Amino acid sequence: MAEPMIKVEGLGKRYKLGAPTAFDPRAGLMENIRRLTGGKRPDFWAVRDVSFEVEQGEALGVIGRNGAGKSTLLKMLSRITVPTAGRFTINGRVSSLLEVGTGFHPELSGRENVFLNGTILGMRRAEVRRKFDEIVEFSGVERFIDTAVKHYSNGQKVRLAFAVAAHLEPEVLIIDEVLAVGDVEFQRKCLGKMKDVTTHGRTILFVSHNMSAINSLCGRCLLLDEGRIEAIGDPGSITTRYLSHNSSGLVGEKDLSSSPVSPDGAGRFLHLRWTNTSGKVIDHVQLTQAFNLEVDFEIVERGYKPQPVALVYNSSGEIAFMTFPGEGDHPTQPGRYRATLHFPANLFNEDTYYVSFWFCTWLPHKVHFVLENAISIQVLDDLESPTRAPSHATVMGIVRPKLPWDIHPL
Amino acid sequence: MRIHVDAARWSALPDLHELFAHRDLFLTLAIRDLKVRYAQTVLGLAWAVVQPLATLVILSLIFGRAVNVSTGDVPYPLFAIAGISVWSYFAFVLKESGGSVIGAQEIVRKIWFPRLIIPLSKAAVGIVDLLVALLMVVVLLAWYGVVPGPQALYAPLYLLAIILIALGLGIWISALTIRFRDLQHVVPFIIQFGLFATPVAYPCSIITESLPKWVQVLYFLNPMAGAVEGWRWSLLGVGDPGGLCWLSLGSGLVIFITSLLGFRSVERVVADLV
Repeated sequence: MAEPMIKVEGLGKRYKLGAPTAFDPRAGLMENIRRLTGGKRPDFWAVRDVSFEVEQGEALGVIGRNGAGKSTLLKMLSRITVPTAGRFTINGRVSSLLEVGTGFHPELSGRENVFLNGTILGMRRAEVRRKFDEIVEFSGVERFIDTAVKHYSNGQKVRLAFAVAAHLEPEVLIIDEVLAVGDVEFQRKCLGKMKDVTTHGRTILFVSHNMSAINSLCGRCLLLDEGRIEAIGDPGSITTRYLSHNSSGLVGEKDLSSSPVSPDGAGRFLHLRWTNTSGKVIDHVQLTQAFNLEVDFEIVERGYKPQPVALVYNSSGEIAFMTFPGEGDHPTQPGRYRATLHFPANLFNEDTYYVSFWFCTWLPHKVHFVLENAISIQVLDDLESPTRAPSHATVMGIVRPKLPWDIHPL
Repeated sequence: MRIHVDAARWSALPDLHELFAHRDLFLTLAIRDLKVRYAQTVLGLAWAVVQPLATLVILSLIFGRAVNVSTGDVPYPLFAIAGISVWSYFAFVLKESGGSVIGAQEIVRKIWFPRLIIPLSKAAVGIVDLLVALLMVVVLLAWYGVVPGPQALYAPLYLLAIILIALGLGIWISALTIRFRDLQHVVPFIIQFGLFATPVAYPCSIITESLPKWVQVLYFLNPMAGAVEGWRWSLLGVGDPGGLCWLSLGSGLVIFITSLLGFRSVERVVADLV
């Protein structure tokens, strides 16, 4: 059998907790004293004993909770950071996309930035020149290509950046959660382009929180937990395992009142709970019943206008929808607030739904932090549902809304 | 292409093959800096003329007229521009390369390439200014009707030496700045101090004729001291490029070689530090 494209053996990365990052003489001195007196800094293995192989043309998805070591693993494989233990071999030209638009310079024109970004990502200048028209066409910003990028909208910047990335022709492509940016239509275009990439015999390593993207793109999936490989195998079973394991049963209520304020000081969530129409906390609900999601949050920093955004996923990790308060509905003053989100009866299908939250300011757009799979609810079919199929056949779909049908004789 | 990374093995030498493979990135980064530098400035590239010209005028007034430094048969402005042309380049590289890796941290955290590309591309941007300054040297040579002698054949070698010295120090500073941010504040001081400790405005003979031997040794440990003296000798035939000047060139060579090794050792941890 041919040699694997990527071969990783016992890879590990250790960080010293609280170790001085930039040099600080005082901290260095304290460090020496600590060492002399026998006290050791606690070590933290972001990734530990990770071994796997990826064959040529295979797409391997990498999933795991925040802090499970996904990004560290990718950073090591793309050589940004050096492993503390183990080794790996990659037999081919690698492009890593840990972010779109790396190195974009606001003062330069779109044209100049295409060259800049392209060569940063490892293309030759001649290669960029050859693909230039194609890149610009893909991005859809032809008209502004000679305008300085600082005048672009965020969306235009992302489109141009992704267009460059989509035209890389590496043998191995390493991608972190970069698809989270950009509008849905453009994301779909990019996913399509990535699928092209795998069918052309290229090898992909793909980190994502989007389980349906993992399922549709990847042939195999690796689940990381606390830096170690928890499972590796068929993406369908691994993603299901991740979602069920990760939520460890149903979470009808979550107390976050002792959680820290987001790093940028914008605020935090205090409490999340599902309630039925009489205000009782629930973790399951009948299809025919309306229910609420109560989100208690705190705005700490004046100046930000953060609000909760809820992303509702079904049990296979596909996003059902995203919902947020309308313009003008959200407070701007520091303080504690309760947002109640009302779900009507007969909206969901029979499934378990998971909700992730963003704490997010729209203008200027900033996601202060993300709370993944924070809370979940099981929706049951009570056999009296008006959306139930008469023959008890499965009703397909992520949601199962009750919609009015008018039927008249012609 | 085959990439092999082993935690237990880290080459102390820079991989020149890899560096060469990234020549296009080097070029693009240099072009970017050049464009950004003069974007939205009124004078644009004319700034490359204004800066050395201003220095030339002030040095000619103070050292040429007021102090009346002896420069032999060579008119003072010609004497001074020879030194200024290379000194400006040296100062530019120190300033630009010094904080370059810290300045590129957004890229460094997100993508891998030989980090040496960063200070090298900064040094390449200075070449444009250097060429403009050299043009000014040629203009003044013609103005005063001075024709360089056969020793001018050494000029390219001295120029190369100066570029390597500038690179060596620039690379050292960029490597050290990653750990010791304080160094960013030291660089302007080094440049200011160095201008006095380098024979730019005056000939080396002032030092060798009046100061004790041990001070001379210290003076010529400054790699630019001998390099500038030699460079001016090759152009104008003034001064003495022998003797302690070799000490300068030796010190420059040591700085350049150790800078590559020093940078390499920092390269290993740079993404974890910036």
